[in-house]
Amino acid sequence: MSAPATRFDTLSEWSDRHFKWLLVAPAVLLILALSVYPLLFSVWVLFVNYDFTVPGHGFVGLRNFTRVLADPVARWSLWVTVLLSTINVAIEFLLGLALALAMVKNFRGRGLIMSLLIIPLFISPVIVGQAWALLLQRPFGPTNYVLSQILGFEVTIGWLTQAPWNFIALVLADVWQWTPFMFVILLAGLTAIPPNLYEAAELDGVDGWRAFWWITLPQLGPMIMLAITFRILDAVRLFDTIFVMTGGGPGTNTYSSSFYLYTLGFTQFHLSEATAGAWMFLVITAILITFLVRRLLKAEPT
Amino acid sequence: MNDREKRDFQGGLNAEIDAWLKGENTRRSFIKKFGLMTGLLATSSGILSPWAENALAQAAVDLADPASPLGKAQAAAMKASTEGPADGSAYRAVQAAKQFSGATLNMTYEAGLQALDPRNFSGPVWEQLTGIKSNVVELSNPDQYSKAVAEHIAGSGAYDVLDISPAWTPSLADGGVIAPLDDYIAKYMNQADLDDVHPLYKALPTYKGKIWGFFDDGDMFALYYRKDIFEDAKLKEAYQAKFSKALEPPKTWEDYAQVAQFITDNLAPNVYGAGHFRKAGSPGNQFDFLQQYRANGGVLFGDDMKAGLNSDAGMKTLTNMLAANAASIPGNNELDAVSLWAAFLQGKVAMIYSWPPTGRMAANYSQSAKAINFIPQSSIAGKVGYAVVPGNPEHATGYNKALSADSKNAEAAYLFMQWVTSPPVSLARVMLPYALRDPYRLSHFKSDLYGELFPSAKEYLINLNNSANVGLLDIIMPGAQDYFLSLDRMCTSVWAGTDPKAALETAAAEWDQTTDRLGVDQQKAFYAEFKKLPGASADNTVEKLGLAVKL
Repeated sequence: MSAPATRFDTLSEWSDRHFKWLLVAPAVLLILALSVYPLLFSVWVLFVNYDFTVPGHGFVGLRNFTRVLADPVARWSLWVTVLLSTINVAIEFLLGLALALAMVKNFRGRGLIMSLLIIPLFISPVIVGQAWALLLQRPFGPTNYVLSQILGFEVTIGWLTQAPWNFIALVLADVWQWTPFMFVILLAGLTAIPPNLYEAAELDGVDGWRAFWWITLPQLGPMIMLAITFRILDAVRLFDTIFVMTGGGPGTNTYSSSFYLYTLGFTQFHLSEATAGAWMFLVITAILITFLVRRLLKAEPT
Repeated sequence: MNDREKRDFQGGLNAEIDAWLKGENTRRSFIKKFGLMTGLLATSSGILSPWAENALAQAAVDLADPASPLGKAQAAAMKASTEGPADGSAYRAVQAAKQFSGATLNMTYEAGLQALDPRNFSGPVWEQLTGIKSNVVELSNPDQYSKAVAEHIAGSGAYDVLDISPAWTPSLADGGVIAPLDDYIAKYMNQADLDDVHPLYKALPTYKGKIWGFFDDGDMFALYYRKDIFEDAKLKEAYQAKFSKALEPPKTWEDYAQVAQFITDNLAPNVYGAGHFRKAGSPGNQFDFLQQYRANGGVLFGDDMKAGLNSDAGMKTLTNMLAANAASIPGNNELDAVSLWAAFLQGKVAMIYSWPPTGRMAANYSQSAKAINFIPQSSIAGKVGYAVVPGNPEHATGYNKALSADSKNAEAAYLFMQWVTSPPVSLARVMLPYALRDPYRLSHFKSDLYGELFPSAKEYLINLNNSANVGLLDIIMPGAQDYFLSLDRMCTSVWAGTDPKAALETAAAEWDQTTDRLGVDQQKAFYAEFKKLPGASADNTVEKLGLAVKL
């Protein structure tokens, strides 16, 4: 005859039965507290006045959205984001692919060069921005002096304050930092292509260009999609280098969406409008992500 | 235990033992490890806290050589705090604060150099005198506003003493974030100390008839120029011949651009006539525009609260600023305040107008502190003259010490504020080489000890006082951040080639939007309050009101 079950036994039995849930409970609670609650809170903020310069949290309907939509700076910043992301990622892809193709075969010093090439990846974007600002900023930066020496006439470019040079400066900094990312992923893809495909092509008399076009690119397709997807997701968040290098200026000339939302929320303290803008930006990026991820999942080497 | 239970128990035991022998995780080992980790986490706070506290604690009191002017000022501050006079604000604050020994005050400070004073000097000295600890919370300038508001909304009582820009006082007072000090002042302060503050700054913490803080930083712009260049015989002769007037520190903005251009034409690339901090986001654009605009007769808002920017005064201001830019060092529009200091200290620029640390750095006094040794040594020490900025100089920001309405140690916090801003203690603070707190009391301007800090310190102090006599205040009303941001965007777009008229129209439209957002009637009331302050406009300076301080 067994002893009557004590409260401890009951608790023990319950904990045995729900052990898996107990294990995940802390993580779930953490996610709820740090992600879901702020998300739901932000939904409330969308429709009320939440502004450090205007007291009270009265219901305002869609006013936060309409104010952002009516703001020409918001539209300009979206255009700047699209422009810079596209140019940055395109250049990084082309340079990264060229580097990967150059580095795919073994040669003396390859390891050292590869190590040097990927160093920018380990540097914080703020530091990258500061370093480029120091290089380009007049009157102390050496860029214009070096260019003057090379070109034989005085170069007086305002790299951080004159369009289009300020955009070129931002692209330079981004490309310098993120080309190695493209390079590493594409190099991994290149080394995974079976060499027998090239051997067979060589036996069939296929030249280098056609081998690249018909073997390398199709085989590399999924990796290209992966690299571009990752980079675009990161590039649309562009903030750090703009903050450090141009401060969004001159005027609002180099405001990206992230910089615009930061300014709206944390310089002007219009938090509910910044939240509305952030949600709209989230929807736009979500559409982009969905499109890219679908392409990524479909991308198979042919 | 029946047979089945025995079998299950034995099976479970074997599985546990097998897993243990194999080094695998079992439920028991997992629970044990989890328990260990939880225990470790629980105890770690006890182990780590002292270490973290030690790492974050203020340094030991950092006192200067007792024979130096600063050392003497520090000794005088200590004596006033411990020996009196008994009716002195410093002494009374210390005596009253001893009852709160063991408390900790959380005080916000702008991150970086500003925070070194409470960490190295005033915080540790206050603790030594009263037993009250201080916890310095370093924040970026915008966060000094936003965090204070956010913590107030949350009701956290996270802060006791707030370092705030005077421009934020109306918003923070109306929002209940800061508390009035009148009752404490009546109870503890020697009221004569309030009259020791320069008239331009005295009214800054006052709003709707109450006192909401103590002014603590005289951020007055002044003109710093190269005496050796202005006294050069050949240059003087050439200037006289060209313009039929003497080469001297300019008194109008037209003269300023003309003199700058003349020096650039004659001395570049070795020396350029002027330099300005015009980088987007650096506050130089807004301050410079506001001081010139009002000196040119511009009004900020009309009677209907429409922005007055798009006016002849606005055009004249931008035209003058463009002329000054053209006469300036290459890269003028890319400089921030620190880069401009570097250019001036290296002798590349003949004139700059900026905050008071410029004078101390130019004399190589600031660089005696390790904390500020990232600023280059001055190559122009002994060659720098001081003058009032043409027209009316801007009092660019400044700081008030304010009492958090949610403070759990309100009285102790107030007493610290009274002590730290009292005449002898504040003098020792504004004399710190790494200080970014600048003279603001009459006793600072008249101080013999300050006058001994560097050879031309007396003239420097006189010029700061004279600048305050004709100085202008930043806009003090809600939405100031938005108004300032519009000015910065306007200026930088003009520097990049936008038509000034179009830029003024855009900025005026943005100002009107800001006013509409906050409520025209409400803003009108705030503006009316602001206009009462000495220094709100060029017609209402301390000097024009007959309150000028003569030294």
